[in-house]
Amino acid sequence: MIVAERKPFDEIMEMVASCKRVLVLGCGGCVTVCLTGGERQAEMLASQLRLAAGAKGLAMEVDFDSITRQCDKEFFANLKKDLASYDAVVSIACGVGVQYMGEQFASARILPGMNTQHLAANTAPGVWTEYCHGCGECVLAWTGGICPIARCSKSLVNGACGGTNHGKCEVKAEMDCGWLLIYKKLQETGRLDELRKLRPPRNWRKDRSDGVRRLVLKDMVEEETKS
Amino acid sequence: MSKTDLTSDALAGLAGTSELLERQWAPCRYNCPVHADVRAYVELIAQGRWREAIDVIRDALPFAAVCGRICHHPCESNCRRTDIDSPVAIREVKRFVAELQGARGASVRKPARQDKAKVAVIGAGPAGMSAALDLARLGYRPTVFEKFPVGGGIPATAIPKYRLPRDVIQMDVDWICAHGVELVTGVEIGKDKTVDDLLNKAGFAAVIVAAGLSRSRSLPLPGGDHPRVMGVLDFLTALAFDKPVEIGRDVVVIGGGNVAIDAARSAVRLGAARVRAVCLEDEQEMPAWQWEQDEAREEGVAFIHRRGPVEVVRRGDQVAGLKTRKVTRVFDEQRRFSPQYDDSDTGVLECDTIILAIGQMADTGFVAGSALKLDSRGRLEYNPATHQTSVPNVFACGEIVTAPGSAVEACANGQRAAKAVDAFLSGREIRIDDALPPSIGKIDPDSPCFQAVKRAQRTAVAVEPAGKRSRDFAAVDHNLTIEQALTEARRCMSCGSGAEVLVDKCAACLTCLRVCPFGVPKVIDVARIDSDLCQACGMCVADCPANAIIAKGWQPGSLIERTKKELAALKGRKVVAYVCGHYAPATAWSAQGEDAIPGVAEIYLPSMCRLSTAEMLHALEAGAQGVIVVAAEIGADRYPGATERIRKRVQQGRDLLQEIGLDAGRLVLVEEASKGREAVRAAIAAAADAIAPM
Repeated sequence: MIVAERKPFDEIMEMVASCKRVLVLGCGGCVTVCLTGGERQAEMLASQLRLAAGAKGLAMEVDFDSITRQCDKEFFANLKKDLASYDAVVSIACGVGVQYMGEQFASARILPGMNTQHLAANTAPGVWTEYCHGCGECVLAWTGGICPIARCSKSLVNGACGGTNHGKCEVKAEMDCGWLLIYKKLQETGRLDELRKLRPPRNWRKDRSDGVRRLVLKDMVEEETKS
Repeated sequence: MSKTDLTSDALAGLAGTSELLERQWAPCRYNCPVHADVRAYVELIAQGRWREAIDVIRDALPFAAVCGRICHHPCESNCRRTDIDSPVAIREVKRFVAELQGARGASVRKPARQDKAKVAVIGAGPAGMSAALDLARLGYRPTVFEKFPVGGGIPATAIPKYRLPRDVIQMDVDWICAHGVELVTGVEIGKDKTVDDLLNKAGFAAVIVAAGLSRSRSLPLPGGDHPRVMGVLDFLTALAFDKPVEIGRDVVVIGGGNVAIDAARSAVRLGAARVRAVCLEDEQEMPAWQWEQDEAREEGVAFIHRRGPVEVVRRGDQVAGLKTRKVTRVFDEQRRFSPQYDDSDTGVLECDTIILAIGQMADTGFVAGSALKLDSRGRLEYNPATHQTSVPNVFACGEIVTAPGSAVEACANGQRAAKAVDAFLSGREIRIDDALPPSIGKIDPDSPCFQAVKRAQRTAVAVEPAGKRSRDFAAVDHNLTIEQALTEARRCMSCGSGAEVLVDKCAACLTCLRVCPFGVPKVIDVARIDSDLCQACGMCVADCPANAIIAKGWQPGSLIERTKKELAALKGRKVVAYVCGHYAPATAWSAQGEDAIPGVAEIYLPSMCRLSTAEMLHALEAGAQGVIVVAAEIGADRYPGATERIRKRVQQGRDLLQEIGLDAGRLVLVEEASKGREAVRAAIAAAADAIAPM
């Protein structure tokens, strides 16, 4: 799932400092699961904004709301608040939600309350670790189920670089070397031969190099969106 | 609607959480014949909210004080705490609050207009008075006719005073009468007035016969026609009205029920040197409650089992003994009463007095001069579905038409009859809906929850030593003290009032599963919280990131409302202390303690797990200069892990304050809640002074 971290408070405060009415809008999807952007976090950020505004002598009214997902417009009908009546809406969804809400509510000013981070697994209570980069061309079949794109700092596809240091990454010392993990896994499972094959250069267009990506399911699309 | 179907859309139609609570009942309420909301009143007692507690009790149970003393308490017998350690002493906490509040303690709620039809009730026992009360509450004008000089029925005329002092009964009778129930004592229907008089001359639109079972069943024993061979009710009623009763030194009571034990223990108090109760049943079959048997034994009553009376042995004009024979069985294969005897095994119990306590029967004298019919066995004809007798506007309820039972069962039957009368007089078909919500189940002993619930010893009721209590008719046991009542009520596990998942908000994030001290939530597609297991601590409610878990038993939003109100009442410094109420003295809850700390609003919470970080911030928003969270020390917390979790929430709150440039020191955690009022007070005062000196 997508994990996102709340922006530093000062940054949010600066965005809304001139506003009289602010809505903090949570999302019931990924950011609720990673405990940073759900209804309760919206409630707490709203509380912080009111307290800070009060301390600064600003007359700011702050409400909160949350919907099931900010990335599906059908859920917008469930909004209990009228976005257009606020000077700013601080979305604490991922960046998708911020933009998509903005697109759908042209008259509202949707601001990001989060820094969207990565695709993660919940590796321990309160800990979300990146496992997938969303590169568009999965290689996990021959890497022992460990992603060299996401878990090697250099996203190398043909083995470790020379910077591996006692199993740790030279880019980030606390991070395991992704390629060492791959090597060990293949060794354990008797599949080291996979590494003898030289992998051709990846098609990076499937990552970000070919512009905005779109997934289209032919059996589901309606006529007007097929083009 | 099953509990998993609850969505926030469905919730939108709910008024508060009461509708949620009504969907499933705790077994204490389910099994109570009048379905008193036991959990609600025990929780109120646990908070020292006496007035509200007695109102909840009396809402369903008119004879709250009587039942506090003598109820057979099916609530306790079905208490889910039984499997954990021992049931909550529900009857004792009820007694405590009923007697503490007295006759005028509970609110009297009656309609502004009581101008509906007049209804006569025959018999001022639990059934009749309960029927009259409910009719008065519906706007009718009930008059209760009682042949004895006091109201209360059997509790007043036969139950010995050592079990039920008269002023206790009077509390209930007075409270019922305050609702516009007229009680006319010393009038015997069938003798002084007839049912027909009531209907045709006195202007009553309906009559309810609730005459009870006021006569002893007799046994045609050869030689039994003697003043020293007496019916149990004659004996007990004479005692109840302080009339002289002559018994000898050596008493045999025939019977194995509770009334037989009342007679035996009364005989001990009258000075009999030897009192024996002889009954057909063995110790296990005997219908008397075990604790009654135990207390009787302690007072010197001996039980002789499996003997049936044959004849009274006379020596001259004196009673000399009771001839008995061996009982080979009491019940047949279908558990019907069908005793068989071995006539070759007989013996004589020497005695000079015999009390027959083999059951009671109705005094049907009220039939005289009316069209009421008795069946072939002399019982009043009546339809249990409609409570109607052979005369359509004469109804019947209570023990005269049901099996002999306890006071609370009679109350329930009287209430049912009141519904029937109301339907009849309103021109509706009499159709009484006896359907109940389902009861929540047992706690699975193999669940982690079962192990995690903190064990807590049941509060023992102080009982006078046997040697002292057998000397007179003074009450044998003591009421709980305030501290004991609080401690005991806090053992209640709040069954069925816990978490409810709003499935369309749930993101299946697993937080509930991770924070629950009892391992109750399961996340399958969404979170599922089994109400059989939930301990209502509120941990998940306060931590759910989606606000997708609500509490059935309380409104989280109400805390901040209360906080605002209390802050507004403070002068000068404004500090809020949210204090764990588990150890709080009764005065703490009232917020009127004489030892209030200046400029501090102390707000007690039944569970600290319910206090969310957001609520701590909201208190500051409401104008508090500081928030002091007073939790119990780790290990003393009511719910395992509660204080550790509260620490994290307070730290989170402090971080959020720091982030916005406010002093994190405005949010303080004190872990001393179990150390007693003085220590808690001192800790709060010190923390408040550190935040905002006076």
